[in-house]
Amino acid sequence: MKALVRLALVGIALAAVLGLMVPADVFAAEEIKIGVIYPLTGGAAAAGRELRAGAELAAEIANNVMADIPMTMAKNSGVKAMGGAKIKLIFKDHEGNPTLGADLAKKLILDDKVHGILGCYHSSVTKTVSAVCEQYGVPMINGSSTSPDLTMRGFKWFWRTTPHDKWFTKDLFEFLKGLTEGKVKGVKAVPKKDIETVAAACENTEWGSLVTETIKLFAGEYDFKLRRSLLYADKATDLSSEVRSLKAARPDVMLFASYTSDAILMVKTLKAEKAGPKIIWGQNAGFETPEFRSTLGDDIVGILTRTVFLPQVVEVKKVAGQVNEMYKAKTGNDLSGASARSFTGLQTWVHVLEKAGSAKPADIQKAANAIEIPGDELVVPWAGVKFSTTGEELGQNILGSGLIGQYQKAKDGSVVLEIVYPFDVVTADMIYPFPGW
Amino acid sequence: MDLLLGSIAAGILLGMVIALVALGLTIIFGVMDIVNFAHGEFLMVGMYAGLLTAKATGMDPLLTLPVAAVVGFLLGVICYAGFIKFLLRGPMVAQLLGTFGLMLFLRNLALLIFGSSDRTVHHGILVGKSFDIGMGIILPATKLAAAGLSVIAFLAVWLLMNRTKIGKALTATALNAQAARYMGIPTEKMNALAWGIGGASVTTAGALIVNFWAVNPFMGLLFTMIAFAVVALGGFGNVPGAFFAGLVVGLIMEIPGFWDFFTYTFDWMWMADVPMTSLKYMWIYVAYFVIMVIRPRGLFGWKH
Repeated sequence: MKALVRLALVGIALAAVLGLMVPADVFAAEEIKIGVIYPLTGGAAAAGRELRAGAELAAEIANNVMADIPMTMAKNSGVKAMGGAKIKLIFKDHEGNPTLGADLAKKLILDDKVHGILGCYHSSVTKTVSAVCEQYGVPMINGSSTSPDLTMRGFKWFWRTTPHDKWFTKDLFEFLKGLTEGKVKGVKAVPKKDIETVAAACENTEWGSLVTETIKLFAGEYDFKLRRSLLYADKATDLSSEVRSLKAARPDVMLFASYTSDAILMVKTLKAEKAGPKIIWGQNAGFETPEFRSTLGDDIVGILTRTVFLPQVVEVKKVAGQVNEMYKAKTGNDLSGASARSFTGLQTWVHVLEKAGSAKPADIQKAANAIEIPGDELVVPWAGVKFSTTGEELGQNILGSGLIGQYQKAKDGSVVLEIVYPFDVVTADMIYPFPGW
Repeated sequence: MDLLLGSIAAGILLGMVIALVALGLTIIFGVMDIVNFAHGEFLMVGMYAGLLTAKATGMDPLLTLPVAAVVGFLLGVICYAGFIKFLLRGPMVAQLLGTFGLMLFLRNLALLIFGSSDRTVHHGILVGKSFDIGMGIILPATKLAAAGLSVIAFLAVWLLMNRTKIGKALTATALNAQAARYMGIPTEKMNALAWGIGGASVTTAGALIVNFWAVNPFMGLLFTMIAFAVVALGGFGNVPGAFFAGLVVGLIMEIPGFWDFFTYTFDWMWMADVPMTSLKYMWIYVAYFVIMVIRPRGLFGWKH
């Protein structure tokens, strides 16, 4: 009996030693771990839920065969080039906190041994997390942070699929210029002096402060008068002094960059203080979350927001319609800029892995710099995904583009976003000026 | 001129709301010489009480004030009987750290129960309405109601303290607890009562404030700090002082508005580039600091 036990012990020890000798890659092929860092609680939790649902849906499509969806990743079960390895998402909650985000990234890299990172929504968090990834040489794809600086740092392990705020802000001023030239559908040419003065309020983290900079830049370039530009704390409980300060400048156009709860508070305060500019424009984020619409209801009719995705896109893109159906079945909501972009972020991850054919960081890096996803595979209305590899911007998708939507009342009484820019894909007449409260 | 009048009106309105928040703190300090660091958390509890009662019963948030008051009174009494009473036996530092611990406890309890998301009231009789009375003065209905309640609450507390027997007993306890006990005043009960009234006043304020400010488990500290500044400015334990100090703080918070008035009246555009709104809370602490250095007993004197 004793001998038997001893034999068994030796056997176990041997097995353990042999187990250690087998290269880790053999097992890793079955599963590719992507660490996903999003704000699942806190002020941007509403957006976080959508981001998560978007990424999960993309993973589901990648891991299963869904032949009727015209996407490469839907044709295979898992990553074909890696023997059908499945994508596993490990979600972490950064609460909008850059320090916490960096800690989570370290944890994911060192403890969970993830092969790559997706995230993080807040540009401030993306900044710290990407720095950690750069330090450890772990690839990171960002789908939804739009601070221009992020791709200006010469990072070798960071790629961004979404267009950034410089493009979006330029879109806005192109749109305002179009308004003065009579290019906007449903509005006669507006004299420049009617919409000349501009005031802006942005939240004071990484993203908002850089939006402020780009607004300043383009206001000068397009010859608008920026009369007031202020930053506020995105966790503010009261914005009335900010709103009064905006009002004091008597602007024709009010511009905002806000996350969810502060966007709602801002609009409520604008209404309470009876601020009535001719145009209100939000730099998406808070201005396009379902909460913004469901909470404020009819009060937002006439407000503009830049975005990268609107349910109306479904009418022109079949694949977007299919994915939207699946997303709606899962969550009850239509795809939004947040969910469509997190979906695209993970989709890009799958393409990169497919091209790399291995989970080695160096292969992934090479593949990311070489991929080109055609626009007709994407749910977002872009020409495709292809990252810049030279010049002052590294890792930026050069085929993306933005939309400007306006909240309007549909026939059934619900409030929907209609496309008013670019001028060739508009879906409705613009409401001008802002009708007031 | 519109800008100036608008800012003054907004400052006074905000000041009355802030005074209401600070009232409970000054009552508790006045009677027991205890600084309640958990004061902002009491406010948060009141906000959640108002919000959740309104959501659960479907009634207007305005009608939840009595519920919040009862919750606050009980919270105050329970905190006193179950915790503060024992702290009183220890040294001063135990009282400071004790209420600080209470703050952390309440905050994390709220985090556990309610999660960290912001919550707001979106519908109600007053929500989203405001009165434009011309000359740039716009009075949001929710803040107006809070300001009205503030005046009523201060009058009520002042009457209670100065015109009733209980008030006399409270004052006696405040002035000299030992002597009061010899005179047959149940000082234990008086202390508990002070905590009850203090708690009720701040939770009522919370239930009103939740009509226009979002609540999350972390918002208490900001209000504790502001209430501190108000109480210090008004003189610790001085009830009428807290009211006027509240107005002063409200006007101080409107400094960005006054700044705008000068910016646009004289068209000094360099002033528009100064980020005054980002610094709006700074001036309160500047004022706090100045008062502490120049006149430590506050603008309106110490309670004794």
